[in-house]
Amino acid sequence: MKVSVVTPYGELYNETVDYVVITSEINGEFAIMKDHIPIISTIDIGYVKMVSGETEMFAVVLNGIVEHQNNVVNVIAQEAQVGMDKERAMEHLNIVRQQRIEENKRRSVDFFKAEQELKKGVKEAKAGRL
Amino acid sequence: MASMREIKSRITATKKTSQITKAMHMVSASKLKKAERKIKGFRPLMNKLRDMIDNIIEDDEQITHPMLIEREVKKVCYILVSSDRGLAGPYNSSIFKAFTAFIEENHESHDEFTVATIGFKAFSFVRRMNFELLNTEPIHVRDDIQFIDFNKVTESFKDDYISGKIDSIVVFYNRFINTLTQIATNTQILPIVNGHQEIEEPKEKEANGTRLIYNYEPGPQIIIDHLLPMYVENTLYGIILEAKASEHASRMTAMKSATDNAEDVISTLQLHYNRARQAAITIELTDIIGGANAVN
Repeated sequence: MKVSVVTPYGELYNETVDYVVITSEINGEFAIMKDHIPIISTIDIGYVKMVSGETEMFAVVLNGIVEHQNNVVNVIAQEAQVGMDKERAMEHLNIVRQQRIEENKRRSVDFFKAEQELKKGVKEAKAGRL
Repeated sequence: MASMREIKSRITATKKTSQITKAMHMVSASKLKKAERKIKGFRPLMNKLRDMIDNIIEDDEQITHPMLIEREVKKVCYILVSSDRGLAGPYNSSIFKAFTAFIEENHESHDEFTVATIGFKAFSFVRRMNFELLNTEPIHVRDDIQFIDFNKVTESFKDDYISGKIDSIVVFYNRFINTLTQIATNTQILPIVNGHQEIEEPKEKEANGTRLIYNYEPGPQIIIDHLLPMYVENTLYGIILEAKASEHASRMTAMKSATDNAEDVISTLQLHYNRARQAAITIELTDIIGGANAVN
């Protein structure tokens, strides 16, 4: 069966696997194997384990939908991170999010400063009177 | 007439400005392409979500959600999507104009609505106008905007909507028509109205007569509870992407015309410069000839 993990920023994962296990905080855990009937489920915070043979891949998902039909699993997530194990993927996702928030804050301050500086510069250069 | 040196310095200044505007034009052009690609990539995901919602609602008549029910509108939340920086032609001012006109037409007092802003320009505009603001900090529309950037706003207006503090959410943004035209429009994102969803052509699977019947895990109601807020967020994200494309297009056209204008200015100045130089030469000549005549 095929599995694809999609976020608004692009497709993260698209492979053929044996089965997937879906875990979320509201729904608990269940697996989708080959020829499962069409199913839709949601993930608030959780992960999708994708197993093929001996290898396991984890996609950590925040706010997502899982849909399965005709042996195609679509995971639509608002935010997701694919990794070799779930703890590290989750950690990574959290770090990325945290960094993003901090960066936004910093940018906000920088932007404000730059704006003030520009205003001052315009005043000093008397650019309006050219 | 201005002196030669003055004209010369103005020519160099204008040339430099036109170089900058030209560069900005090219930057915006490439960014526009990127934004368009992003929109294209995002559309299938959105359609998928919509299909799922339609499916669930069709399957089960019992399902309801506050986000689907229209109620009497007492307080509206407006979301203004603008840019962070200026130099984008009429991009921001057209939204603000449309918004103020809309407010004047539809509201008598400022208590009837609250405003959330996305983009620094909108934030300072709303603060200047003394409207009630939903977000305390400006949200920057970066070129690579992500959900987490405007997460706080979506959370707060979703909560306000569910708890009944606001009854409708309308977004003001510039719709992207093509590179030359962007129109300031407004769309309602909450409550979710079904009207515009049904225009789509009948889906393939229905045409085949084998519409898939899904199993819902754990149940349709819980899924719809989860899916609808997500859908709203995604709608807003889609709108922001489109506004972003509009911004780049608008900036591109503005910078193009600025470059053209600069060329005009330069050619006029060049004419003045040549005239001034010729005048100086003539004066010198008459001086010399006059002097020579005096000697003779």
